[in-house]
Amino acid sequence: MRTGDSGLTGLASRAGRWLGVAVVLNGAAAAMLVLQLIVLARIVADLAFQSHGFGAEAGRAGWLAALLAGRALLVWLADMAAATAGMKVATALRADVLAHLLRVGPLGMAGLGAGEAVTTLTDGIDALEPYVAHYLPRAAMMAVMPLMILACVAGLDGWSFAILACTGPLIPLFMALVGYRAQAIMDRQWTQLLLLGSSFLDFLQGMTTLRLFGHARQAAAAVACMADDYRRTTLSVMRVAFLTSAALEFFASLSIALVAVVFGARLLAGHADFRTAFLVLLLAPEYFMPLRAFSASYHARQNATVAMRRVAALLALPEAPAAVAPAEPLRGAVAAIACADLSAGYDAGGAPVLEHASCQFLRDELTVVVGESGAGKTTLMRLLLGLLAPSAGRVVALDEGGQAVAGPWRDRIGWVPQRPCLPFGTVADILRLGAPDADLARLRAAAAQADALAFIEALPQGFDTPVGERGARLSGGQARRLALTRALVRDPAILILDEPTADLDPESEKRVAEAIRHAVPGRIVIVTTHRQAVIAQADRLFSVAGGALRPLSISERAAA
Amino acid sequence: MRRLSSLVAPTGPVGRRMLGGLALACLAALANFGLLVLSGWLLAAAAAAGLAGSVAAHAFNMALPAAGVRFLATLRILARYGERVVTHDATLRLVGQFRAWSFGRLVRQPPAHLSRQRSGEQLFRFVSDTERVGHAYLDVGVPFAAAAVCGLVYVCIIAAFVPSAGIVLAAGLLACGVALPLAAGHLSDRATARIAAHQDAMHGDLVDILQGLDEIAFLGAGDAMCRRLDARQTTIRQARLRLAAIEGGARALVGVVAVLTALGVLACASAARHAGLLSAACLPMLGLGALAAFESVAPLPAARQTARHALLAGRRVRAACAVPPLPASGSLSPAAPLDLEVRDLGMRYAPDEDWVLRHAGLTIRQGERVALVGPSGAGKSTVAGLLFGFHGYQEGTIRFGGVEARALAPDALPGLVGVMAQDAHLFQGSIRRNLAMACPTADEAAMWAALEIAQLATFVREASAGLDTLIGEAGLRLSGGQGRRLALACVVLRRPRWLILDEPTEGLDAATEQAVMAGLVASLPHDATLLCITHRTAILPFLDRTVEIADRRFHEVATSRGRPR
Repeated sequence: MRTGDSGLTGLASRAGRWLGVAVVLNGAAAAMLVLQLIVLARIVADLAFQSHGFGAEAGRAGWLAALLAGRALLVWLADMAAATAGMKVATALRADVLAHLLRVGPLGMAGLGAGEAVTTLTDGIDALEPYVAHYLPRAAMMAVMPLMILACVAGLDGWSFAILACTGPLIPLFMALVGYRAQAIMDRQWTQLLLLGSSFLDFLQGMTTLRLFGHARQAAAAVACMADDYRRTTLSVMRVAFLTSAALEFFASLSIALVAVVFGARLLAGHADFRTAFLVLLLAPEYFMPLRAFSASYHARQNATVAMRRVAALLALPEAPAAVAPAEPLRGAVAAIACADLSAGYDAGGAPVLEHASCQFLRDELTVVVGESGAGKTTLMRLLLGLLAPSAGRVVALDEGGQAVAGPWRDRIGWVPQRPCLPFGTVADILRLGAPDADLARLRAAAAQADALAFIEALPQGFDTPVGERGARLSGGQARRLALTRALVRDPAILILDEPTADLDPESEKRVAEAIRHAVPGRIVIVTTHRQAVIAQADRLFSVAGGALRPLSISERAAA
Repeated sequence: MRRLSSLVAPTGPVGRRMLGGLALACLAALANFGLLVLSGWLLAAAAAAGLAGSVAAHAFNMALPAAGVRFLATLRILARYGERVVTHDATLRLVGQFRAWSFGRLVRQPPAHLSRQRSGEQLFRFVSDTERVGHAYLDVGVPFAAAAVCGLVYVCIIAAFVPSAGIVLAAGLLACGVALPLAAGHLSDRATARIAAHQDAMHGDLVDILQGLDEIAFLGAGDAMCRRLDARQTTIRQARLRLAAIEGGARALVGVVAVLTALGVLACASAARHAGLLSAACLPMLGLGALAAFESVAPLPAARQTARHALLAGRRVRAACAVPPLPASGSLSPAAPLDLEVRDLGMRYAPDEDWVLRHAGLTIRQGERVALVGPSGAGKSTVAGLLFGFHGYQEGTIRFGGVEARALAPDALPGLVGVMAQDAHLFQGSIRRNLAMACPTADEAAMWAALEIAQLATFVREASAGLDTLIGEAGLRLSGGQGRRLALACVVLRRPRWLILDEPTEGLDAATEQAVMAGLVASLPHDATLLCITHRTAILPFLDRTVEIADRRFHEVATSRGRPR
């Protein structure tokens, strides 16, 4: 899926069955429409030119009503099938892309803003729906409906058949020519349209900057000005599209008028009967109708192509290799993690952030890493987590005998980042994210260990209280303890916490630090921090400075 | 800022276009109706004349009605084209005015009120909401108004031939134009609200997931997250399918009612014909007219659903705009010397949140070069916001140039103080545009000088279009360090007496960092003040003193690295 176009082909095949149903139903509905018009023409002709009253047509009226109801049902079902196809494609694709992004992982996503990916996943994929639900079925109907009507007219009147058969193919030809030109204009202005279209967002995002420049008031006028430019550009593109459909309509009415004139002359001369003439004139607009519907949904394809390009860019991100490797069970318990002569940096040519760092993190100990921000704490953390590959040296897990542990030991890491991800849901939902089948007793035990049980039970519905941005508000300290609980529910052998008490007031900080202390027995616990409350709990202290890692004695603790 | 209602008043420029678009929509619909009615009559009349024999056939004047048909067909095409152009023009104007209006409201609010949550996701929402409200004219207003006007005309025309047929048509149109949309709206409003709520939630979930990808990986929660998304999508899909079912059902019903009404009209016309009140030629015409009339009401159930979406969007926009503007600021101008004096300051974002600063004191004299350091989240970045009145403070005083920050005139500060915020925004467009946004009066030489100080001049000179090089949306085509340097150039270009720079050298390599700081310090007049908020120790030698924020206070840091005075 390199380009949007080939991606779109894939889309159509994804929705194949439902689209097929929609097209078949639409075809059946079209047949019923023709029948319906035949009956209607009969009724009108009889009422006008036979001497009997409406009562004599009651039977036909009944037929008409039945056809009507049948067609309405078919059209409704066809629409539903098409809508289902559109939604199925969009939801399946969204799930696929998200699953792919989860496999790509944070490192692969690094170059891409979360905001941009979210927009592609929501609005971008939404733009594919009209393409599947409207554009594709209409494109199919463009082939079915005119042929059906043409066949019908052929049986009724030779002249009309000749006129329709000649003008019909001319219209798509002409449309293609005009559409080609419209496309060229569209392509030329596309970039400008995109730019102007996002200018309001640009201004909204830059609102604070504008205020700092003292230009906030003029900016409102600038917003209006950009909107006006956008309007003018959009209209210049739209005008072409509107002209195209006006031209389409012109040709359609011209050929219908031609049919009518030819009939009028023969009706006057008595060579044709009114019923046939009326029926053909009822059928003729329907001959051109699918073309009109199709040209109205043409922009759906344009939007879908652009959206598909963005989706394809996300799907093209390579998956993280670790996720693909088959998980073999971990043999032996992890008693220590050893870093041997580790070096790492971010740019190939740039200075390494960490150089020749060696250290050991032991079980049943709380190891604290301190250092100024930017000194390399985060880099060390990423190396431990396996989110960054070292340029030299290695990180290994050791068992009790000091032998390297084989297998995916990093699965046994519990990690709590500085800003834990607490999606909307109940407390229990959030805690079960990493362990879907954990029972309440396990949650309670973990919560007790993380000093979170008391506040959870004080919430209105305890573990079933919705929290997060759209639920009950947690304090910073509570959120950290909740995240710690969540990590503990998985009973990790290694617990890594990044700045667990940043932004906390001293009281919450103390509680979090104590909660971390409680989690130490049986685990390797590694914490980065610059806060005294946590440092005071440390069994072992490392400092990162100038790319070097060195142990600090307990006496150096106060200075840390 | 004018009130929004005055813009859409019938006398306003947008209002006139809106009415014009509506008139053209009515004209197009009526021309369509007339076309079908007239061609029905023409056909039937010709047939009647043909049946009546050659004398009648010769007496029949086909030219005039045929000309009428041609005229109406042309009118229909032109009116439709005009309608589309004018209504879309009015809609785009409406969106533009609405956006300018709401921007004028937002810009007076505490900054980032809209974007505080979800790192700007709300902004995307706001953009589409304003669009939706503007489109309500096109998608809701025009169809309903045109249907009301044209419906009345259709009924009158039909009733002029056969009064009872007019009544039948009126009943059919009312059923489809009023009862059906009402019922459809009633049935779908709850689903619409549910869709809005769940789409928000899905959006939020996706942001959570994509921002927390690494944590989710270590929790092994990827599958759980995918299931969560699936559940949300299923709920949304069901609700939307319900909407589609209602709308499609209503549309199908309109089709049924249209033909049944046409039959009713024909029955009435047939009775009238037998009573000798109607000629045979008029009967097909009335039937066709009844069918054509329903084209005006067919889009109404869908329009009613759209109306609900627009209403919800309008409510959200209004709620966002209703946040009270910043407390009215004063009118005093700071006086020289421009010293910053903070005394016993207490500040927090909300009464139920922790204090960011408490009992904090700091003095910076004009001409000093100061570094402000401290752990992330300690409140370093709030300092500029406090001075500009972006954040209120609850305790103590902040005086700038002898004037309390609250009493400063809003226009006084930007001219004196240049701030490069941590999230300084780069506008889409060219480098020149960004520099001009910062300082509209700057000439090209001044721009190059500013770029020179920011160590960006070489890059710009080598770029294909020089100053006119496009930097893409939000400066995406620049690297992080280049973006910071352009933001710095923007601030320097304004030649402020005070500079507050938040992490000015973030993302720069050591050599460039040194060059930027050296160029910056050398370019400043000796009485200009520089406050660098930073965590980079490498730039401290360029500054006189270092202040650290810790435990909610400012602490002077004794340093030997400071520049000798």
